Amino acid sequence: MSDVNDIALSVRNLKTFFYTNNRCNKAVNGVSFDVKKGKTLCIVGESGCGKSVTAATIMQLLPTLSRIEEGEIIFQKDDKKINIEKLEKNGKEMRAIRGSDIAMIFQDPMTALNPVYTVGFQISENLKYHTTLNKKQIREKCISLLSDMGIPLPEQRIDEYPHSYSGGMRQRAMIAMAMACNPKILIADEPTTALDVTIQAQIFELMDKLKQENDTAIILITHDMGVVAELADNVAVMYMGNIVEAGTADDVLRRPTHPYTKALLESVPVLGRGKDQDINPIKGSTPDPYNRPVGCQFAPRCNWKTESCDVMPEIQQINETHQIRCHKYEQFFESYNE
Amino acid sequence: MAKSSLDKKFDKIREREESKSFSTKKRSRIVSKFVNNRLAVFGLIIFSIILLATIFAPLLSPYDPMRVDLRSMRQSPSLDHWFGTDNTGRDVFTRVLFGGRVSIFIGLGSAILSALVGIAIGCYAGYKGGWIDLIALRVSEIFMSFPQIILVLLLVSITGQSLFNLMAIFILTGWGGMYRLARARMLSLREEEYVQALRSFGLSTFTICYKHMLPNALSPIMVNITLSTAMFILTEAGLSFLGLGVPLNIPTWGNILNVAQDILVLQNYWWMWGPVGIVISVFVLCVNFIGDGLRDSTDPSQQG
Amino acid sequence: MITYIIQRLFIFFPMLLVISFLVYLGLELAPGDAVSHMISPELASTITAEQLNAMREAYGLNQSFLKRYWLWLISMIQGDMGYSMAGGVAISEIMAKTIPATLELSIVALIFSTIIGCSLGVISALKRGSGTDNSLTVAGMAGVSIPEFFFGLVAILLFAIELRWLPVGGRLLPHYETVWDRIPNIVLPSMVLALMMTAGAMRYARSSMLDVLAREFITTARSKGMPEWRINILHGFRVALTPVVVLIGFRLPLLIGGSTIIEQVYQWPGIGSMFIRSVRASDYPLVMTISLMYVFVVLTASLIIDVLTALIDPRVRLGKE
Repeated sequence: MSDVNDIALSVRNLKTFFYTNNRCNKAVNGVSFDVKKGKTLCIVGESGCGKSVTAATIMQLLPTLSRIEEGEIIFQKDDKKINIEKLEKNGKEMRAIRGSDIAMIFQDPMTALNPVYTVGFQISENLKYHTTLNKKQIREKCISLLSDMGIPLPEQRIDEYPHSYSGGMRQRAMIAMAMACNPKILIADEPTTALDVTIQAQIFELMDKLKQENDTAIILITHDMGVVAELADNVAVMYMGNIVEAGTADDVLRRPTHPYTKALLESVPVLGRGKDQDINPIKGSTPDPYNRPVGCQFAPRCNWKTESCDVMPEIQQINETHQIRCHKYEQFFESYNE
Repeated sequence: MAKSSLDKKFDKIREREESKSFSTKKRSRIVSKFVNNRLAVFGLIIFSIILLATIFAPLLSPYDPMRVDLRSMRQSPSLDHWFGTDNTGRDVFTRVLFGGRVSIFIGLGSAILSALVGIAIGCYAGYKGGWIDLIALRVSEIFMSFPQIILVLLLVSITGQSLFNLMAIFILTGWGGMYRLARARMLSLREEEYVQALRSFGLSTFTICYKHMLPNALSPIMVNITLSTAMFILTEAGLSFLGLGVPLNIPTWGNILNVAQDILVLQNYWWMWGPVGIVISVFVLCVNFIGDGLRDSTDPSQQG
Repeated sequence: MITYIIQRLFIFFPMLLVISFLVYLGLELAPGDAVSHMISPELASTITAEQLNAMREAYGLNQSFLKRYWLWLISMIQGDMGYSMAGGVAISEIMAKTIPATLELSIVALIFSTIIGCSLGVISALKRGSGTDNSLTVAGMAGVSIPEFFFGLVAILLFAIELRWLPVGGRLLPHYETVWDRIPNIVLPSMVLALMMTAGAMRYARSSMLDVLAREFITTARSKGMPEWRINILHGFRVALTPVVVLIGFRLPLLIGGSTIIEQVYQWPGIGSMFIRSVRASDYPLVMTISLMYVFVVLTASLIIDVLTALIDPRVRLGKE
């Protein structure tokens, strides 16, 4: 039962195309999903499937040689609906949303933070532009943010530069920066790929805490199924610019129906199973985006491909929460009903 | 919302893509990038024209660049004398052509020779390290502590003026740049795996250094040579203009400009110095276009 | 920070010492010596070997090379730079008279070229690929291709002779009283000198800016909802500045060297035109001493640039990262 008021962001049939080197790359080719308040949506997929592009599109942070081709991004601000795709890319309205309503954290905190300004300065920029606090209040808020994120000695750290922070601390500082104005949606683009596994756990714990305390909706982009298992409330599996399967974490992880999802789950080696476990890589490799297969993008690598797969499957609802893009989903799903 | 020109461009690309009208020619990426750089191609054409004109100078002009003809002094440009005549009746156009031979020879020759010296030392020093490297480094630092013109003038005052001396001085002051470049490349390539492999095969230092590692450093070297050529031509022009470069009896572009030091000539006889200056500027500009084009097309990090 | 400066000074002084030694060696190897240059041609035919020797003895020229070098070094440090061949004027006096003129010219050119060059470079980067960018790039290349003295001559012809807006050359006229009087004279030479530096600064600023604008932290800044101008200047330009400062510093020797020719063209009484005069006259002591001074300036400039870099970029301060 998805109550409309539960939804923070709604993406409908989004298409984002890239136009570099005089070619057209359909990076995101018809993607739809909902982001619910206070819940984590994990977007999973291999590199190049378009998940980061989707995130960038939501914030209108696309590079110059690209554009939103079609579709809608509907942001629920209080009781108003705002169509993000209709806003001017760096216009006043969009900028008001960025940072204060929707915020983003990036993969590598070392390169994502400006090396010549103190951490405090960079956090305070956010507050300066979206709130009416004075200088002293801003500084206090920065210190409390850093301490909330678990950074020791925040009064000292606030005046230090990014390169004197450790990797995990930098990411916490970035999260502090993103959460400064208490955004309704936090987009995290592979936030722990550049960090140690132990730090990874801490960061995710932090994000979970924020979600619960502030009712923030989180869009977590990752290629790591383990992370999905840990954190996701809802999952969307992407492949070559489309969502092939989506639903609650339970739906997708316990009853994976799309061949790609199944293959992804099977290809993850399990810690503790020993060296003789079967490692099942997915056969073939992702196609050249400029030379795509016709119809279902996964067909060339799929073990159950038939002639009908030459036509791109539509999104079908298996049940209320579980969606899929596959012609043969019924026969796959049957096995779960037994 | 009205469609911007960028939008229209995108629409065209998308149409083309969807109708699959795409040729995937496998031309060498470097060559096609260069050819697409209109400035570079333009530069190459004009450069070649001027170069060939100077090489075939005797065919292009009936006059002797050295022959004094006091009856035709200071004539303004005409059909007989395309650039007019100078203070002693010599045809300026011919002098420009013949002067070009010397100037280009000095510029290009010094650039190539100083590159050879710099690369030879740099490769070896960068690869081997040790005291050769240390000495070469300090020596090149010393040379680099002087502004180039000052160093050149200094050496000219000690050795005296001659064509040969000038080129020797240019090479002496110029090898440092190429040395550092080659050395830096060597240092970074030295740690590559294929070098370790070559070493384990027992190949001599000489072979590894010059036969295997050098080709990888070729593109920045080429770019550097073109830019050095530009610099040397300008330096020679400046020195000869002052009368401190190539001896005045040999025509060079700079020497021809020497007469412009006289304010009377400057004001009244523009053809004696104007066209030469323009020729130098155009030639050096073309060399710069080519160098830039080379740099852009061989630089792997450039995007479309 | 202090340790950083001390480290740099450790390189500075030995380098200066080595070069001063080479300079003095050059003086030694040059044809003739102090005495032979002091004698006019008429006297040379009548003077005897004993008299020459006596003169050499008096001037201490018969001591060993190293001893003379040492004495020369000491007196240099104390400010006594010896005497010029032509006219026997104290070199220190010559320096004192001419250096201010060159400084004036160089500093004006440096300020102009840096400000204009950086601004144009940044504009070029922000409007990448547009008509503005392309024309500026080509203009920049033209700027480094035209021989500066040629440009200087054309400028004289146009502005001084034909249009009569500005004087033909020289620095001071007897009736000049205030600073404002002197401005017309400095315009042409400094602008011509600035030309080449501007083109260089523009190119570096553009490529550095493009480089920085592609970096992640720019996207981060944008994701916070900052306006474009703030992103471009505070985040973009601020970080792009460091390499630009370094690169401009590398070009300083060119500025110093370039002033020689321009001074000659515009009859500007600076150390550059003095240097050329001394080369023409084979006035070796003057040639060598001025060269040494140039080296001193270049080394000092490098030192200053290094310190500036450390100030601007906190990463350098705490040791390379």
